[in-house]
Amino acid sequence: MNLQQAFFAIVFVAGVAASTGAAAQNTPKTVVVTDQVRAELLAHAPDGVAPGKPVWVGLQLAHKPEWHTYWKNSGDSGLPTVLDWTLPAGVTAGEIAWPLPKKIPIGNLANYGYEGTVLLPVPLTITSGFKPGLLSGDLEVRLKAAWLVCKKECIPEEGEFTLKLPVKSTTALHGDTFDAAFKAQPRPVMRGTSVLPDSKVQIDSGAVRLSVQGLPVALRGKTLDFFPETPEVIETAAQWTQAWNGAEWTARVPLSAQRSASPSVMPVVLAADGQGWRAELKVLGEWPKVAAQAGVPPALEAALKANAATPPPSPGLVVALLGALLGGLILNLMPCVFPVLAIKVVGFTRHAGDQRGHRLSGLAYTAGVVLSFIALGALMLGLRAAGEAVGWGFQLQQPLVVAALAALFTLIGLNLAGVFEFGSVLPSSVASLQARHPVADSFLTGVLAVAVASPCTAPFMGASVGLTATLPAAQALLVFAVVGLGLALPYLLASWVPAMARALPRPGAWMDTFRRLMAFPMFATVVWLVWVLGQQSGIDGAGALLLLLVGMSLLVWSLTLKGRTRAVLAIVSVAGLAALTGATGQYLTQTPASGPSAAAGDGWQAWSPGRVEQIVATGQPVFVDFTAAWCVTCQYNKKTTLANGTVLADLAGKNVALLRADWTRRDPAITAALAQLGRNGVPVYVFYKQGRAPVVLSEILGVEEVRSAIAKL
Amino acid sequence: MFRRRFVALPVLLSVLALAAGNAHAAAAVGQPAPDFTLKDATGKTVKLSDFKGKHVVLEWTNPGCPFVQKHYNSGNMPATQKDAMGKGVVWLAINSTEKASYDYLEPAKLVAWKQERKSTPSAILMDEEGTVGRAYGARTTPHMYIVNPQGQLIYAGGIDSIPSSSAADIPKATNYIKAGVAEALAGKPLTASTTRPYGCSIKYKSAA
Repeated sequence: MNLQQAFFAIVFVAGVAASTGAAAQNTPKTVVVTDQVRAELLAHAPDGVAPGKPVWVGLQLAHKPEWHTYWKNSGDSGLPTVLDWTLPAGVTAGEIAWPLPKKIPIGNLANYGYEGTVLLPVPLTITSGFKPGLLSGDLEVRLKAAWLVCKKECIPEEGEFTLKLPVKSTTALHGDTFDAAFKAQPRPVMRGTSVLPDSKVQIDSGAVRLSVQGLPVALRGKTLDFFPETPEVIETAAQWTQAWNGAEWTARVPLSAQRSASPSVMPVVLAADGQGWRAELKVLGEWPKVAAQAGVPPALEAALKANAATPPPSPGLVVALLGALLGGLILNLMPCVFPVLAIKVVGFTRHAGDQRGHRLSGLAYTAGVVLSFIALGALMLGLRAAGEAVGWGFQLQQPLVVAALAALFTLIGLNLAGVFEFGSVLPSSVASLQARHPVADSFLTGVLAVAVASPCTAPFMGASVGLTATLPAAQALLVFAVVGLGLALPYLLASWVPAMARALPRPGAWMDTFRRLMAFPMFATVVWLVWVLGQQSGIDGAGALLLLLVGMSLLVWSLTLKGRTRAVLAIVSVAGLAALTGATGQYLTQTPASGPSAAAGDGWQAWSPGRVEQIVATGQPVFVDFTAAWCVTCQYNKKTTLANGTVLADLAGKNVALLRADWTRRDPAITAALAQLGRNGVPVYVFYKQGRAPVVLSEILGVEEVRSAIAKL
Repeated sequence: MFRRRFVALPVLLSVLALAAGNAHAAAAVGQPAPDFTLKDATGKTVKLSDFKGKHVVLEWTNPGCPFVQKHYNSGNMPATQKDAMGKGVVWLAINSTEKASYDYLEPAKLVAWKQERKSTPSAILMDEEGTVGRAYGARTTPHMYIVNPQGQLIYAGGIDSIPSSSAADIPKATNYIKAGVAEALAGKPLTASTTRPYGCSIKYKSAA
């Protein structure tokens, strides 16, 4: 015995002598027994304890019948068992290697856990820094474990355990138990990779669609159990469906309505016949956002109520109706509507004699416009009632709608440019419909006018339509109807007042030139829609849309040909278009990785819920630009007034913080913020200052208006 | 000529309809909170929408559950309650435990149990049929919700951030209700609007 060993021996003896009394109650123990569970700390070190050798410890829980403890994701309630290790220097404990759990239903809820006897094994890593006890040559393992054991009632229990492992000899008494626990481990679906290629979780309105490739052939066709490792994502107890698609296993699992986790990778365990398979699945798509609702303090609420009830300029339904009428009138001048209307009116000059026919078609057109506006308004109100956070312009927040409109405008443009006539493309039965039912045709032209006008929210209309959110449904629909009336009015007048028709230039060759000229505003509108889609779905989306438009144009042109060339080219272009759609369609709706881009830059910060309140609380005034790529008025204001040097200088002079809220894609938080201001569409321009009600500016933003608002800050 | 272009319309309109989305079934944050009418422990009728204009905290409770005991015996739940009610917030404690359950407490005993722990919520509501609990998707005791003055659900989840049965964890945890109520009253959106509820399963009456 050298000097050092002698010293430790003396200390040890003294320590034992001093602690004898306490040690009697506190003897190291490996078993804790409660009324529900027998818990035992076990170890498995077949090759002794040394760096590189397998060393396992684990807590074995033997449940009384009907009692259970929980898996790493405990499901609707419960808590996973927690193991807290105290180990000497140089020894570290890994994660629990959770054996395959069971789904345990409790009424309308469900848990994941264990009944009977289960061993929760944990690997120990021994490094060269580990120095075994000098006298004993042991590895001392201390464990504080906490488990929640439940039948119907739940009892939180805990236990402290101590175990000494001889370093030099074998510990394999429980080898069979550990082997059984290892066998119950879910195996990786594919060795060597954690995230599975070609397998995914796709987010799909209220549910996730799982697709798992590479599962063992023996599993094919079997019904699998499914255990997500991430808690708080799915509705644990809900009905879900699964199917085999050759080698691919798919499932659709409902999401929890109160989901609080939004993982980018979901590890899952699939099981059949007591054997589990583990896979980490990439999550594709965007987790549905939870609308961050701001509670409104009572003082501000009163101010906001006043705002919401009376739009900034003046009160009442009458003003809203006037605004709606004016807005509808102005819609006629928008680049997307004007060509259609202009040519239709010019058409009068051809049949100047048929006064009754004109009047009928004028009425039919008006009915088409007004009814479509009411339908669109009813759709919006219906969605709101169903709890969807939508506002005016909501149609254009869907990339598919933008793409469909771009296709429609391209077709109209090609038609105006003279590339094709509908008569040569459509079956003759459809083509003759127009001749046989001129009234129906006028009605449908009205519907079309609304469809093409929908991207262009006219000035004045935002406030009126925003007001509909606070009006009873009948009055709200009246506002929509009046917008339609405004849009239909010029044509209606032209059809009823012969003097107007007579005032038009005489028919002639100029009409054809005029028609072709009108193709260009149509194509300009297509350019704008492609740009909007680019904002939503990135350059790939815009590229895909352009490709599809070219393919569609080819198809339309080929249909104008004659004989065999027509048949061959049409078939080729249909096939080409189908292939293009299949190959590039997904790009249309994807979200670019970087997200909407228009929000920040040039001294502007991106708006986020609560940001305004934060800045205002510091005493700094805030200006918010609620905007969207598809909103023409917004873009116009942004390039003119908001880029004006004196305005920017004034804003800088008052140290105004500039926030931009980009509504190009659906964003419930922005919708909620708009609703607080009594609006449900963009543009909206607001100044906020501490202790004042927010100041909302008009939609066509004038330099003087902004400057005077800044001066009052 | 272009008068016949209306053929494209059905396609366009169906795209619009497809884009319209779908409605939700269970209570979800950001949506209107399901309205309900329940009898309180004294037999008085209480209706959620009667409290429109005020913030309302809903607390699913059951004294038989160790997790409820953790937050009451430590004084955490009564203190949170007092803090919120002091700021004008309405606090409704709801018991959805079925009558047949071993740990069902009769209304009077439930009130007494709470009073012993210095808890006097605005009302203690009896939901033995479990209809309100199911409408809110309440799973555990405790399970907490906040409804804003407009009647929208703005919070669903746990009482705090550390799911454990040990009262020693309370000081280390973020109390989501205290924080949420403070933010809501300041007009701010909630930092945490959905979190993990933890506790015992609610012993619902099995659906007939």
